[in-house]
Amino acid sequence: MNPEPFLQLDRVIHEKGRLAIMSMLAASPELSFTELRDTLAMTDGNLTTHIRTLQEAGYVSVAKTYQNNRSLTTCALTAAGHRAFAGYVSLLEQIVQQNKGK
Amino acid sequence: MQDDWAAEHLQTIRTLMERSAVYRRALAPITLFVGSLGVLTAAAGLVFHLDSLRAFGGLWLAAAVMAVVGAFLIARRQAIKQGEPFWSPPTRRVAQALAPSLTAGVCLGLAFVLAGVTNKFALAFSWLLFYGCALHAAGFFMPRGVKLFGWIYIGLACGCLFIFAIARSEIEISAHWFMGFFFGVLHLAYGVYLYLTEKGKNAA
Repeated sequence: MNPEPFLQLDRVIHEKGRLAIMSMLAASPELSFTELRDTLAMTDGNLTTHIRTLQEAGYVSVAKTYQNNRSLTTCALTAAGHRAFAGYVSLLEQIVQQNKGK
Repeated sequence: MQDDWAAEHLQTIRTLMERSAVYRRALAPITLFVGSLGVLTAAAGLVFHLDSLRAFGGLWLAAAVMAVVGAFLIARRQAIKQGEPFWSPPTRRVAQALAPSLTAGVCLGLAFVLAGVTNKFALAFSWLLFYGCALHAAGFFMPRGVKLFGWIYIGLACGCLFIFAIARSEIEISAHWFMGFFFGVLHLAYGVYLYLTEKGKNAA
């Protein structure tokens, strides 16, 4: 088996929690912090840590606004994030195909 | 084992992406509101004998506008309470899916009134059909059997239209009873079902 695709997997995205965040953001132009937290059943601290990691990698942008006098934090994938996610999914597909052909 | 792992990851990604695109705000309050409004409107029509097509059409079109505005306000209040944007992408998709059929239904109602058509049943069953189509279209972006609810309306509308076509001269019940049952009682029943089964799902 060619281990190349597996070794190329982006370690930032590969972590379970961050992969979940990236997957949700990939299907929506933006999502609020609470939507992500509730859908993924994460704690505030856990989600904040993962988002910070993704932000540092340049994959996610975070915007803070106000709606009806309440702060609203929204997250979105950056162009680099979209590319990285597409690349990650493509590598996973390669791994599945490779193992099917064994 | 690695192929299982990769396939499972892909499946998880697919599931999460689908979930992200689906409208998940609690539907029970909206459905109960629409059902109550339907029953009250039918009662008003029966009590005040609003039997001319103009009165019938006007009453139910006004009720439809109130239902849309009320649903909008309930969803908005839920969003504010949750600290989330109201006009989120899933909400936009649902609104876009509902819009064509609902607009067609309103236009048909106005056309009936303007053309002086006197048959209220034809209008009521056509509205039922358009409403079913609207729900079915929106059901692609909503969970919990909305598509099936739409099919129920489409099936009932088609059945009623055929029965009406065969035996129209024999129908002596007020059209308000039909409207009250279809737009009132059915919504209330679905709302009660959702109320009992929805578990704090409240995000769009």
